[in-house]
Amino acid sequence: MIEGRGITKAFKQVQALRGVDFVIPRGGAVSFIGESGCGKTTLGRILAGLESHDEGRLLRDGEPIKDFRPIQLIHQDPYSALNPTRTIAQILRDPLRLRGHPFSKAEELLSLVGLDPSYVLSRYPHQLSGGMRQRVVIARALTVDPEVLVADEAVSMIDVSLRLGILALLRNLRETLGVSVLFITHDVATARYVGAEGELYVIYRGTVVERGPVDTVLAGPVHPYTQCLLSAIPVLHGLEVPGPDRLVPDEPLDERVEPSGCLFEPRCPFATPACAQEQPLLSRLGDTPQDHACLFPARRHVVAVPAR
Amino acid sequence: MNMGVTIAGLTVTYGDLPAVKDVSLRLEDGTITGLVGESGSGKSTLALSLLGHGNIASGSVFIDGVGDMSKMDKGALRAVRGAKIGYVFQAAQNSLNPLLTVGKQLLDLAKSHGVRDVRGAHPLLRRMGLDPDRVLNSYQHELSGGMRQRVGIMFALVLNAHVLVLDEPTTALDMITQANILQIVREVHADRGLTTLIVTHDVGVVAEVASRVAVMYGGRIVECGSTKEVLANPRHPYTRGLINAIPRLTGPVDVAKPLPGTPPTLGTIPAVGCVFRARCPIRMDVCSAQEPEMIDDVACHAVGVTAK
Ligand SMILES: Nc1ncnc2c1ncn2[C@@H]1O[C@H](COP(=O)(O)OP(=O)(O)O)[C@@H](O)[C@H]1O
Ligand SMILES: Nc1ncnc2c1ncn2[C@@H]1O[C@H](COP(=O)(O)OP(=O)(O)O)[C@@H](O)[C@H]1O
Ligand SMILES: [Mg+2]
Ligand SMILES: [Mg+2]
Repeated sequence: MIEGRGITKAFKQVQALRGVDFVIPRGGAVSFIGESGCGKTTLGRILAGLESHDEGRLLRDGEPIKDFRPIQLIHQDPYSALNPTRTIAQILRDPLRLRGHPFSKAEELLSLVGLDPSYVLSRYPHQLSGGMRQRVVIARALTVDPEVLVADEAVSMIDVSLRLGILALLRNLRETLGVSVLFITHDVATARYVGAEGELYVIYRGTVVERGPVDTVLAGPVHPYTQCLLSAIPVLHGLEVPGPDRLVPDEPLDERVEPSGCLFEPRCPFATPACAQEQPLLSRLGDTPQDHACLFPARRHVVAVPAR
Repeated sequence: MNMGVTIAGLTVTYGDLPAVKDVSLRLEDGTITGLVGESGSGKSTLALSLLGHGNIASGSVFIDGVGDMSKMDKGALRAVRGAKIGYVFQAAQNSLNPLLTVGKQLLDLAKSHGVRDVRGAHPLLRRMGLDPDRVLNSYQHELSGGMRQRVGIMFALVLNAHVLVLDEPTTALDMITQANILQIVREVHADRGLTTLIVTHDVGVVAEVASRVAVMYGGRIVECGSTKEVLANPRHPYTRGLINAIPRLTGPVDVAKPLPGTPPTLGTIPAVGCVFRARCPIRMDVCSAQEPEMIDDVACHAVGVTAK
């Protein structure tokens, strides 16, 4: 089990993370969603040991994490992640040797990620499609026998027709190898496909504002920020009709403003004077089935529903 | 002003390989048409033909009241681009000059068209929710992705173009910013009575803004029609597969299915027969021998059979 407690991180002008707690069970999936600039990538990089944090603790089965190698980052761009001058065989050889694995393991891993080793091993990255490249990146991450894959927008540059394949692969790796997945995305629907039983964390300006099982949060979000985020997802008119309570934030995000109360108060369509006074903590105030950080939680139906 | 666009029998080649082949499409005056397809399907190449860009091997791109862009000389094209046709390029958020303020780049644009008065930029920027003075005095790095995209739209429309082309205008943006840009596109389109073409790989984006849609695959338009109709009742097996592959927010997870195979690239598009047949679940013998004609807005042998 991997755990983060009270993780904070400030860059020069911005407080990127303000005390984030999370738990990723072994073989489990946890998804983070939020607008750009909310701290998702920073959190992923901290967990992967690529970025320091200011306060808080990262624990593996209760002990501080010292070795970050088993936590592998898969980022958005499969085009820049692979050295263009090396074949796929060369790309996999070194990390395998470092772990003392025979080269034959390369074929095993490529098959596991759904690639034909005889086709890809001798090729260069530019000879593969984006979807194939992302599978190679995943295969390379698997050479170190990882415990956790941090997938940061890992399918957003992949063609639509191939995305589900990569998502199914991540789910598969959880089930067959017991690898855990920290899934970062702005495309909320994809979170269901790495594991609908996993937890969804909604992050806003470095704080978790809502947390619960993916389908619970999607079906009945109670925090207005989550509701705005879900309302922004395009509706497939013709196939779907918009949720009846669709919301738009009052204002765009302005990182220069530091509210004294709830961080979302300046943009919240339901803000009250009380909201400007105190910063609500993550709780189940109002007997909600999920955790949230809102003084006035209310279930709203914002997600599109199938037509007919 | 009546300014529809008629594309007829258009073929555009790179080297001697056709990236767009024998495409016919009408953009009705005053409508928003969505051009959707996966990477490499030829969307940007087709969209660029509206600017009369080189490489047009045959066919015509006729803009009402302007003429055939494929037959115009350089001088005529320069006068028409910007003044009649506004274009927001793919990755426009990175295409501003980092060394000049937005205002300076606006003056340069005006000068190159022999225009003195660019005060039209102010109401446009204000209409899009921006503070004109602040934006015009800013450099690219001082603007967020959503702001840059709005600046791109301002550049496209400030010379009073009536045809607007947007190539992947929301691809790098998060959902809330995307929803905001799409709302702006709808409003500006309606205010100015434009003829708009929006190019995207995201069916959701088309569903949100476009009344008509054309689906591209391997350089061909395989299906077109009213967006709602096509989404509710896709007839081409590719359109069906693409829609089925969209991760959904509600309902059983396994309703969505990846499309087997990968999209073709310029070098792998078959020269004979249907370009989709390698991935097609209902292919027949005729599909490898003959390219299907566009009949009743769909180019598929299987559909042709049942329609007759
Ligand atoms: N290396 C850095 N230096 C300065 N600021 C940074 C750096 N990395 C991230 N930030 C800032 O931290 C905040 C969170 O960024 P990020 O974690 O990338 O968010 P997300 O992935 O959710 O878009 C943003 O305001 C961003 O500008
Ligand atoms: N300038 C170019 N030279 C050679 N090939 C190109 C050029 N531009 C695009 N292509 C190729 O043409 C095909 C269509 O590209 P493009 O129109 O950019 O597709 P899309 O916009 O749908 O991703 C692709 O296979 C692409 O690699
Ligand atoms: Mg990020
Ligand atoms: Mg393109």
